[in-house]
Formats: sequence, C-alpha cells, structure tokens
Amino acid sequence: MSISCSDLSKTYEGGHAGWPALRGVSFEIKPGEFVAVTGPSGCGKSTLLNILGLLDEPSGGRYLLNGRSILEMSDGERSDFRRDELGFIFQSFNLLNRLPAADNVCLPMMYAGIPRAEMHHRAHELLAKVGLKGKEKKTPLELSGGERQRVAIARALANAPKILLADEPTGNLDSASSREIMDALLKLHAEGITVIMVTHDRELAARAQRNLRMKDGRLEE
Amino acid sequence: MRALFNAARTGIAEVRVHKMRSVLSFMAIAVGSVVFIDSFATIVSTYDRLQKQKEVSGIARLKITQDYDQTNSNPDEYTPPPNITYETAMSLKSKLPGLYMVSPEFQNWRNTLEFEGKRVVTTINGVTPEWAKRDFVYKLKGRFLDWQDLENKLRVCVLVRKAVPPPSNELTKTRMKQWNYTAAFDVLVSHNDMLGKTVKIDGVTFTVVGILEELSPSKQPDLIMPQARDYKVLAPATTLAHYGFFDEEYDSLDLNVDAGDENNFEESLKLIENFLKIRFGGDEFFMIDNQMETINEAIDASVKQSLVTISLGMLAFLAGGIGIMNITLATVFARTKEIGIRRAVGATRGDIMLQFIVEAAMLGLIGGVLGSGLGYLWGVPVKELLGMGASPIKPWMPAVSVLIAAFTAFVFALYPAWVAASLKPADALRTE
Repeated sequence: MSISCSDLSKTYEGGHAGWPALRGVSFEIKPGEFVAVTGPSGCGKSTLLNILGLLDEPSGGRYLLNGRSILEMSDGERSDFRRDELGFIFQSFNLLNRLPAADNVCLPMMYAGIPRAEMHHRAHELLAKVGLKGKEKKTPLELSGGERQRVAIARALANAPKILLADEPTGNLDSASSREIMDALLKLHAEGITVIMVTHDRELAARAQRNLRMKDGRLEE
Repeated sequence: MRALFNAARTGIAEVRVHKMRSVLSFMAIAVGSVVFIDSFATIVSTYDRLQKQKEVSGIARLKITQDYDQTNSNPDEYTPPPNITYETAMSLKSKLPGLYMVSPEFQNWRNTLEFEGKRVVTTINGVTPEWAKRDFVYKLKGRFLDWQDLENKLRVCVLVRKAVPPPSNELTKTRMKQWNYTAAFDVLVSHNDMLGKTVKIDGVTFTVVGILEELSPSKQPDLIMPQARDYKVLAPATTLAHYGFFDEEYDSLDLNVDAGDENNFEESLKLIENFLKIRFGGDEFFMIDNQMETINEAIDASVKQSLVTISLGMLAFLAGGIGIMNITLATVFARTKEIGIRRAVGATRGDIMLQFIVEAAMLGLIGGVLGSGLGYLWGVPVKELLGMGASPIKPWMPAVSVLIAAFTAFVFALYPAWVAASLKPADALRTE
C-alpha cells in the first residue's frame, strides 16, 4: 500500500490566523518501507502521523492512500481503512485499562465482525507472538510499560494491517524495553509491513530505512 | 446484529464497572416508572368507573318537575303550574316510544310502617317498573314491581335494605350518634326476613314482594349524578294514589327521563318540550333539568383529572430521561479518550452511537424493571397498608412501563451518543 503526500498542510483553529502545524509537506512512501519521522517537539510529527493514519484531516494539499485521495473517502470508509489496513502504536499505549490484555487485542477484530471464538484465538496467538503468553487476562495496569506497549503492538496487528503507524512508541519506556519494541517493529517490517515511526530518538531513527526530518511544520529530507 | 450484541456486552461491562453511576441512572428512570404505573392504574380505574357509571346512570338523562318560579310582575296573573300525573307520564311514554325510561315518582314522608307489632317511621315512594332501569345499585330478592301491579293497583311493596356502612367511617357513626339517629326502619328490615310477609303502612296492608339489598359500598358503582337516594319503601304509584297517599289534584309527580341515545338527546328534548306545550299549553310551567350536561361535565372533569395524572407520569419519565441524558453526557466526556481509541482501531460513528444508546437503553430497561417492581409494591401492599386502597395494576402496565423506560432512555441518549460519535478521533485521543 503506497502513500503519496503533496503540499500537505494543517492549521489548527485558534488565535487570530490559526496555528500552522504542517506547511506544504510532500513525500512518498513505498509499500514495505520503514520510515522514521524525526524532529524536535512541536515540529508537526504527530500531526503528520494523525493525518497519515486518517485520524485527522489535512487543511490543504493532497494525500493519496494506495492511489485514492482520502478527501474523497466518507467517514465510514476511513474507519474501515483504519480497521483493516492500518495499525496504531501510541506513546501512551492507549489501551482500555479496565479490559484484560486479550480483550484489548480483540477490539479491532470486534469492529471487523470476526466471530468471538476466532477473535479470542487470534488474540492469544498475537500476544504469544509479542512474548506475552500467559498474560492474556492481565489488565494493562497489571503490566509493565514495555508489556503494555507489546499489547498495543498485538492490538495493532489484530486485523493484519499493511501499514503500522507508531507515534513515539518508546517514549515512555526504559532503554531495554525500547530496544525490545524496536526489535519487534523491525521484525514486523521484515515480514513485509510498512512501518512509519515518529520519534525524536536519533538512535532509533537510524535503524529505519529512511528518515523524514521535520522542522517548523516543514520537511527537511 | 453482532454490533448490537457487542454493544450490549460492552454496556453490561460498563454497568458493572460504574456501579454508582448505573444506580443513579436506574433510580432516575425507576422513579418515573413508579409514578407512571400509578398514573396508569389511576386512569384505568377512572375509566372503568366511568364506564360502570355510564351503564348504571345513563347519560341522556333529564328530570321534569313543576316550576313555581315564574317571574310575573303582576301577582294576579300568576298561574300555578299544572300537576304532572301518572297519566301524563304514561302519555309521554306512549307518544315518544323512543325514550329509554320515563319514570314518574312521588315521595310521601313520615308514614308509619307496622310489622309484627313493631312500628317505625318511614317514607314511601310511588314508582313504576321504569324506576329500576337506571341508578339501580341493588341486589333484588323476590321480585320488583310490574305493570300488572300498577294496572290493578295492587297493595304490594318492595323494601330497601341499606348496606352496612363501612366500619372505618367513624365520622358517620359519630354524627349518627349526635343526631340520635336510630335508623329503626333499617334495623327492622335488616333483622327480619320480610319477603312475602305483610306490613301496614298508614293502616293500609301491603305484601312485601321484593327486598332491594343495597350493594356494599366497595361493590357499589359511584353514580355520576349524586342524588338523594333515601329510598325505603317502593310501591306502585297507582296504588298510592288510589289509597290516598297522594292526591293527584294537589300533588305533582317528578318525571325522570332517559332519552337512551345521547346522539338523539337534543331531538328528544325538543319532542318532550313540544309534548308539554301541546298538553299544558306551554312548557314554562315545568323545569327541565338537563342532566346530560352535568353528567358530561362530570365525565370531562374525570378525563381532565386523568390527563393531569398521566402528565405527571410523563413528567416523571421526562425527569428520568433528563437524568439519563445528563449521566450519559458526563460518561461521554469521561470516556472521550476511550472513544478516540475505539475510533482509531476502526469503530465507525455508528458503532460509537450504538454503544452509548445501547448502554443507556440497558440502564433504562433495568430501571424500568426495578421501577415496575417498586410500582407494584407501592400500588398494592403499601397503599393497602396506608388505607388508600390497592391500585388496579394490570399485568400489561409494568410491561408498558418497562418499554417506555427503555424508549425514554433511548431517546434521551441520542444527543449524548451523537456528541460522542461526532468527536474527531485525533481530538478524542489527545484528551487526558
């Protein structure tokens, strides 16, 4: 699944003229690439990732996902795209704390209408894949930061997405856990998944195939 | 269907996790349900009572009496109104056969009734079989008066046995004591089986052919027109005239008429006025009391009262619904992050709306069931305990109440659910 952005801009409402988070960003990502988006805080990395993940809309420019403009998609189609083609990993994990790990992994499959038994079987498989076998019934609050992020990775993989979007996936983790998560992402990339990772950690970014450097809402590739 | 099932599962989990919030939501709706069931029961009992009242009393009623209140400036021109006689009544009945009831009636006070050496003071009413057509709140033992009794002026009578007053009516008891009311006639009729026996009324011997037993107050339908129904002895009007209990030359009968069909009431009224004009040269001598207006006013008042009652029930549900809306809105704001997460993993706006609506409807459903139980407890055992009389709660009332509770919750959850579904995923995810 290819990604093509040209002259992408995003201005947040507020203030006299609004606040421009993205200013004319253009780039392409080929299927199976591992791209790191880097830059200082407030440079627009997360905004770009939200737009790429169809969580937000650009104010201007063009974003083609697999050759199709996202502005032509209905809200329902975007939801379907997020559910079936995209996987998200967030810095703060964004897990539902009152649900067990397995149920958190089941969430995207539930919206895909996968039967309950199959859903749970797959959730257990995915948790085993990320090294959390035996912790299926633990809630996120009973897990360490690294384990929580691995649950988030398992959830992101639930519907076998083609693109994985990771927003500072190691931002809240110690160095050992960070390495584990990065290894997991590289392993997924090796399996053919496109990975787009936002990070301000140069060391991690260096392990990606390509770096997109951002500053003040602009790209400095 | 699967989406609904998933939403229901999430809803159950939410109810269990947020116990206090859930209890508050249940209670908001449950209170509405209790009031609604009570209102329903009141309306049903009012409707049933009205139907019974209509059957017993009729609607197209009027009463014709002499009018002494003619306003003539010159007293010399005053003409006393002519008397309404038994013959007048029979003539009206034969001229207007469409009338359901033409019941002439005359009451004579302070008669002496003798039975087996006992003497009591009583009143006697001269009536015809038509008397029993309306306001009949008795159980008959023996037989009632028939037309043969009237044609042959037979000395037969029917005695009225009063119902035992309700034991709780202490006020009546006290007043009866204060007035030194011994109710000797009532005691006599209650304590003796007088059917088939003979009694002497003012020296004239009558055979008791029937006993009218007044129904107990709880079984007695309320009459729409509150009337003085202090009947004690009923006898054929012709017999009483023949034996001098009243003199048709001096005494006038009252005529109770029921036109039968309320649609033809106005026409019947005109025909009656016409009849009186032809027979007496004018209808100004008579007062025609249109009781249908009064009866309809009484019915309207009952209907209005019912509307007020049901409005209270609806208001209670409205309050419950607003409670649900308030709590659901608070839930949406408290779970904004969760909404963002669900949207990020693929939930559509419809999924989010469905989730909140199903959750609220479940709260409404549980509240409705709880309220129905409480409504039954309040309507039957508690009201009986408080001496208010049990409400006539029918099985469909709690069922309807539960449905309305769920529907109210559904309707009032629409706005909060729409707010939740309208959140942009990125904005929702940013919320802490």
